[in-house]
Amino acid sequence: MNAKNILKVCVIGSLGMATLGLTLVVDTTPVAAHGERSQEPFLRMRTAQWYDTRWSPQKTSVNDEAMLTGKIHIAEDWPRAVARPTRTFINIGSPSSVFTRTSNKVNGTPMFTSGPMELGGDYEYVIKMRARLPGHHHIHPMLAVEKAGPVAGPGGWMDISGNYKDFTNPAKLLVGGTVDTETAGLAVGLFWHILWGILGFGWIAWFAVRPMFLIRARVLAQEGGDALMNDPADRVAAYVMLGTCFVIIAIGFFVTDSQYPYTVPLQAGAPLIKPTHLKSDLTVKVLAADYDVPGRALRMTLSVTNNGEQPLSIGEFTTAGIRFLNKVGVANNLDPTYPPEIMAQDGLHLEDESPINPGETREVKLDSRDSLWEFQRLMDMVHDPEQRFGGLLMAWDESGNRHINSISGAIIPVFTRAASS
Amino acid sequence: MALFRTAQIIKASKLPPEGVKLSRMIDAVYFLPIAYLGVFATFHMHFDLLAGDWDFWIDWKDRQFWVTVTPVVEVMYPGAIMYYFWTFYRQPFGATLSITGLLVGKWITIIFAWYWWANFPMNFVMPATMVGSALILDCTLLLTRSWMLTAIFGVWAFAMVFNPTQYALFGYSHQPMVVDGQLLSLADYMGFTYVRTGTPEYIRIIEVGSLRTFGGHTVWISAFFSAFISMLVFTIWWQVGHFVGQSFFWVKGKRGKMSRMNDVMVIGTDEYAVRHGGLMGTGVPSGATLAEGKS
Repeated sequence: MNAKNILKVCVIGSLGMATLGLTLVVDTTPVAAHGERSQEPFLRMRTAQWYDTRWSPQKTSVNDEAMLTGKIHIAEDWPRAVARPTRTFINIGSPSSVFTRTSNKVNGTPMFTSGPMELGGDYEYVIKMRARLPGHHHIHPMLAVEKAGPVAGPGGWMDISGNYKDFTNPAKLLVGGTVDTETAGLAVGLFWHILWGILGFGWIAWFAVRPMFLIRARVLAQEGGDALMNDPADRVAAYVMLGTCFVIIAIGFFVTDSQYPYTVPLQAGAPLIKPTHLKSDLTVKVLAADYDVPGRALRMTLSVTNNGEQPLSIGEFTTAGIRFLNKVGVANNLDPTYPPEIMAQDGLHLEDESPINPGETREVKLDSRDSLWEFQRLMDMVHDPEQRFGGLLMAWDESGNRHINSISGAIIPVFTRAASS
Repeated sequence: MALFRTAQIIKASKLPPEGVKLSRMIDAVYFLPIAYLGVFATFHMHFDLLAGDWDFWIDWKDRQFWVTVTPVVEVMYPGAIMYYFWTFYRQPFGATLSITGLLVGKWITIIFAWYWWANFPMNFVMPATMVGSALILDCTLLLTRSWMLTAIFGVWAFAMVFNPTQYALFGYSHQPMVVDGQLLSLADYMGFTYVRTGTPEYIRIIEVGSLRTFGGHTVWISAFFSAFISMLVFTIWWQVGHFVGQSFFWVKGKRGKMSRMNDVMVIGTDEYAVRHGGLMGTGVPSGATLAEGKS
């Protein structure tokens, strides 16, 4: 190696060391979310519309019970680019199984397997969980749609304290007795794997103790080589091994069969869940909508008619699990435990904030403005295959009764401040 | 009296003692780091791509697809590997090597990926073991010394004993339980209770086939079907082994005619020299030359 090559190696080596060293000074905060922001806006705004999501309690110890509850509205304006929700499953988005799921009811019906959901339907889910892995976890409700993939709901933080070694997950059997799903069948499985492993490696070792390759290849190439390698000892070993295998398999099968006389196959049914529907005295029609890219705002012009008997005030617009509220919304629907990073308490502005009186039809100019549009990557709508938006508009009467409308419509991007004025 | 014919075989190889010693070193280097690790790495990847979910999750181990798919996929590599070890070395452990290699790969994945990294309990991702089936296959080849009879009888048994072998491992998971007023098997409940964000329930391909007659003995119908498909697949992969594993040389004869030598192992032996009147570089006078090689 000449001096030039030595210099080259030194330079390349120094660069490599410097690169490695950089990793020590760069912020290496762990990633703690599930890529929900990477999902396209039209997918998050116009499929599953999440509301009233609650994570309770937010602090638990290992083995404690916790609940993930909320409601989901299946948007009427479901995108054409996404498969219809003919087979869906309300799931939990979590970093591994930090909680185990002990019960999952949707509109009161147990949902163990996937089932259909209706466009325009409303579904209330109650998921009971059991704290398993200690840590600070980001937990989402999630609607998984066959052929479309999972749609993540709003994410909230839940803390689990304690020690994983203390965790148990008891399951009561129909025939009596309780097993722990963490360890059930583990010893038996390991026993059989080890037993078969010993036999398998023993069989290979039987041939490996003798010359294996080169010598045998040379002999095989000669006249009579095949007959020479038909060793009687190997034939006896093969008969013994064959018999051993069949006997072990038979013993394993019949012993297990007698041990578990009552068994059932895997269950592959589909729950039929009856949806409810949103109730509102308002009729809402989207007249126009645009999104102000530099201003980080969604602006809507709506025709709103109050068909009820009480004045109604608009207080919240929620889409993709992100909530934009004004004073009315804060007064009526502020959940202090809702994650602040996906809620704008002063994010909704109306040109005329007075209540809409019974029988009145008003053209409402509504502006949901906050950096959340940018931060949650909903401004990426311009890259969507369908330039439409969707969400839930909430209004309250004086008694505090909530009226929810699912709205959707075409939307136009505004790229410059000059154009928006 | 020696147990094996080892001394006779070494004598027949006509290798000097240092050659024999060297061949054992080659055995060690070739077998463990190259053959074994190569097989377990590639077979593991091959299997996971074709049948991975069925053999990991306990709530995928159904009576139709798991029983059908697993033997069919697990017999592929053994077909090719058995061809190679049997044809060139008369070694009857190709299937056992493949399946134990697959299990080594699986257990590495279970311990490091599923248990240590993803925090799933090991019983939830316990794989099936087909070592028993592989031993039956290898023994059949050794005893019949025929790949056709091995395909008919050995492979049939390979697939048919799959379910009874696994029942000893997974029978417990079919115990019934009631949750929220609904009957589930313990395996269903385990699939439900351990949250898998990326694999929601509808991903499961279970119990949705038409292999259902004969009074509900679904598992045996599936096993028979699997056995027949496995026979076909085994013969195809034996031929894949033949295609990939063959080596041949084009040899120029005395009269200048090129002929193809299919068995490369004959090259360099006395038999080759006698058959062709010599070989360049061996010192044996001759007109034969090694013209071109391909493997």
